[in-house]
Amino acid sequence: MTLSLRPRVSKAPPGGTPGISTRRRVRTYPGERALRNTVIIIVAGSLLLLTAYPIGLAFVGSFHYWNPLNGAFDFVGLENYTTLLSSPDFWGSMIRTGFFSAVVIFFRVALGLAIAVAIFSQLTRGKAFFRTIFYMPTVTPLVAVAYVWQMMYNPQTGAINTFLGLDLNWLYDPQLALPSIMAMTIWKDFGYAVILFLAGLHSVPEDALEAASVDGAGAWQRFWRITFPLLAPMTVFVVITSIISYLQAFVQVLVLTKGGPGTATQLISYLIYDKAFVKYDFGYASAAAFVLLIVTALLTLISFRLSVGRKNSLEG
Amino acid sequence: MKLARAIGLIGAAALLLTGCGTGSSGGTVVDKAPSGLPVQGETLKYDPNKLVNGGKPIELEWWLWDGQDKFQAFADSYQKLHPNVTIKTVNQPWEAYWTKLPLQLQSKKGPALFNIHNSFDETLDPYLAPYDIEAKDLEADYSGAAGHVVDDKVKYVDFGMMTGLIWYNKAMWAEAGLTEQDTPKTWDEFRDVAEKLTKRDGETIKQAGFNFNSAYNSLGFLQYQKGYNVTSADAKTPAVDNPGTLENMQYFLDLYNKDKVGSKDFGPKAVDSFGQGQSAMIYEWGHLRGTLAKNYPGIDYGTFQTPIPDAGQTPYAFDRYNGESTPGINNGASEDQQAVAQDFMKFFLTDKTDMKNLVLNYSLAPAYKPLEGDAEISANPVVKAMGSLDRYIWPGPMPATFETSITKAWQDVIYNGVAPETAIAGAQTAIAADLAKTDFTSAEPTYAHYAPNPR
Repeated sequence: MTLSLRPRVSKAPPGGTPGISTRRRVRTYPGERALRNTVIIIVAGSLLLLTAYPIGLAFVGSFHYWNPLNGAFDFVGLENYTTLLSSPDFWGSMIRTGFFSAVVIFFRVALGLAIAVAIFSQLTRGKAFFRTIFYMPTVTPLVAVAYVWQMMYNPQTGAINTFLGLDLNWLYDPQLALPSIMAMTIWKDFGYAVILFLAGLHSVPEDALEAASVDGAGAWQRFWRITFPLLAPMTVFVVITSIISYLQAFVQVLVLTKGGPGTATQLISYLIYDKAFVKYDFGYASAAAFVLLIVTALLTLISFRLSVGRKNSLEG
Repeated sequence: MKLARAIGLIGAAALLLTGCGTGSSGGTVVDKAPSGLPVQGETLKYDPNKLVNGGKPIELEWWLWDGQDKFQAFADSYQKLHPNVTIKTVNQPWEAYWTKLPLQLQSKKGPALFNIHNSFDETLDPYLAPYDIEAKDLEADYSGAAGHVVDDKVKYVDFGMMTGLIWYNKAMWAEAGLTEQDTPKTWDEFRDVAEKLTKRDGETIKQAGFNFNSAYNSLGFLQYQKGYNVTSADAKTPAVDNPGTLENMQYFLDLYNKDKVGSKDFGPKAVDSFGQGQSAMIYEWGHLRGTLAKNYPGIDYGTFQTPIPDAGQTPYAFDRYNGESTPGINNGASEDQQAVAQDFMKFFLTDKTDMKNLVLNYSLAPAYKPLEGDAEISANPVVKAMGSLDRYIWPGPMPATFETSITKAWQDVIYNGVAPETAIAGAQTAIAADLAKTDFTSAEPTYAHYAPNPR
């Protein structure tokens, strides 16, 4: 048997007039349809099994006292949600998570954009080198980064106090602990934004910038009036992916502070982990996870709407 | 048809891949039972002159979170007797261990053997197969085994006892002009010694006389010295909110805030600060000996018993102690694996040589009675400092909420400016809420000098 790779052209529909069919002729390869269907079934099946089913189970579980270790799965109605929403611990974690996300996203976008513009500049030589340098922390495992930063933050032996001549207890001072985690996260992640903004800068039409120059626009004006608005879709993408990512920030908290001192750095994901995998109260943890899911979805929707509104106003 | 073929192909590929990963286990086959090997043990005995698993190859996983080489030594000794058996120890970090193990056991996929920490007793209990050993034999050979007997069955016992001590840097001690005679017996004397060991440059501490940062969970139990149990007379209700706890907390806060012999900002982890030669004294449990040998082998240290409030008076208890548990057998493992695991545990519990090394590694008072008079163990400075356990309380397997809630309370007081009364009351509430969902009962009433309200 020989395998033909020549495309097969489907026939015109029965009754149709040859030559004037409004339908586009579909070209397929042998086995293409089977391959497509197989891939769809595998992807859809995986999604159902690995995503939809656990989410559904967690949703149902959030209305139960659920401890998988002793098999407890007792219906408690809205008790987990009412306990959660009346808990200062939960609200403290939510507020901290919101603050953490807002600051880290701001710096990620601002630093990412500034450095991308600097690298993109025609005055900059060794662009590949800088791209690599700034992207390197992004591909380094977060756990390893967190352990190194933990050593750097040591008040007596750490590099930060030593080089800056300071005497600060970075991870144990309640005023400094969360900003210290933020700083590490920004350092780790801003390189990702640099790469995305660099890609966006390549798509900014050169002639628009040249025309603005001819009209007497300076570098700042060209950036704010032309480059930045045209980068809006990329900015929105960075912001939305960052919202989703930072509302779930966990590893850095686990390694650096375990939520302490007290609860000074307890973000919502750490609270969920503590309830689920330390105290095995899966019902409460599921309720918290669902509240987080709703908040994440709402914030993502708002960001998306704002970007669409801005796009329409620019086009209008 | 094509779709079916494609699925079939993928399925076949998956089957092939699966076959490559878990095919024939290989391994050594033993045809003949060993003979003439010595039987080991005192009351409980282990006779190796037999075939295990019919001589067929079998592999067991053994999960643990620390001391891999010491535990693997038992497995290696056993495998020499029964070469058809492979016991593979798998080390997991503490947090990952307690996240993965319970869920693996629940899904019947866990390791055949796994190490136990008794603070997770209630979590693990449903998945533990009782040892196939007479409880009276274990009680005869192991101190404290009686405390683990339920319905005449034992699921694990302690192989050693551990408690808290004061650890000091010998070089700093000598440099401060201190001798053995200066070893403090009371907390007032301790304050004076800590002062002598402190070095300052103006207001800045250069060497802490005493550092208790990150050791809060253990300090919380020193309330026993003041005559307060950790649970009420019903042995179920937590009783950490009491004047004894507050007095202790105030003493340690004063060491930092008034006496300035240490600081919350100096050496955020007492153990590391001690190992790095920045802090002269710390309070820590016996396992520190292994940690220091591994991470800070250069440090020359000594130990002494935790001071008490009043000289010449015997406290209600010096401190609590805790047992280090023998491994558990997964009741969800296959029948063959469980049978081998049962045989291995008989070997483990009678293997005096490897048990001695294990006990020495953690600086434990041995629970295995044939090791009780061992000269090398008795000469261990940590065991020596601990002395008799008669005036130490074992409160039973303590749910993790005690340690996590007490730690949070201390952190809130020290770093977040929360009033001690508020923080301790918060810990009491948190522990009570967590215990309400468990069947926890304290073993405090089994203490030889127990009093429901000792104060």
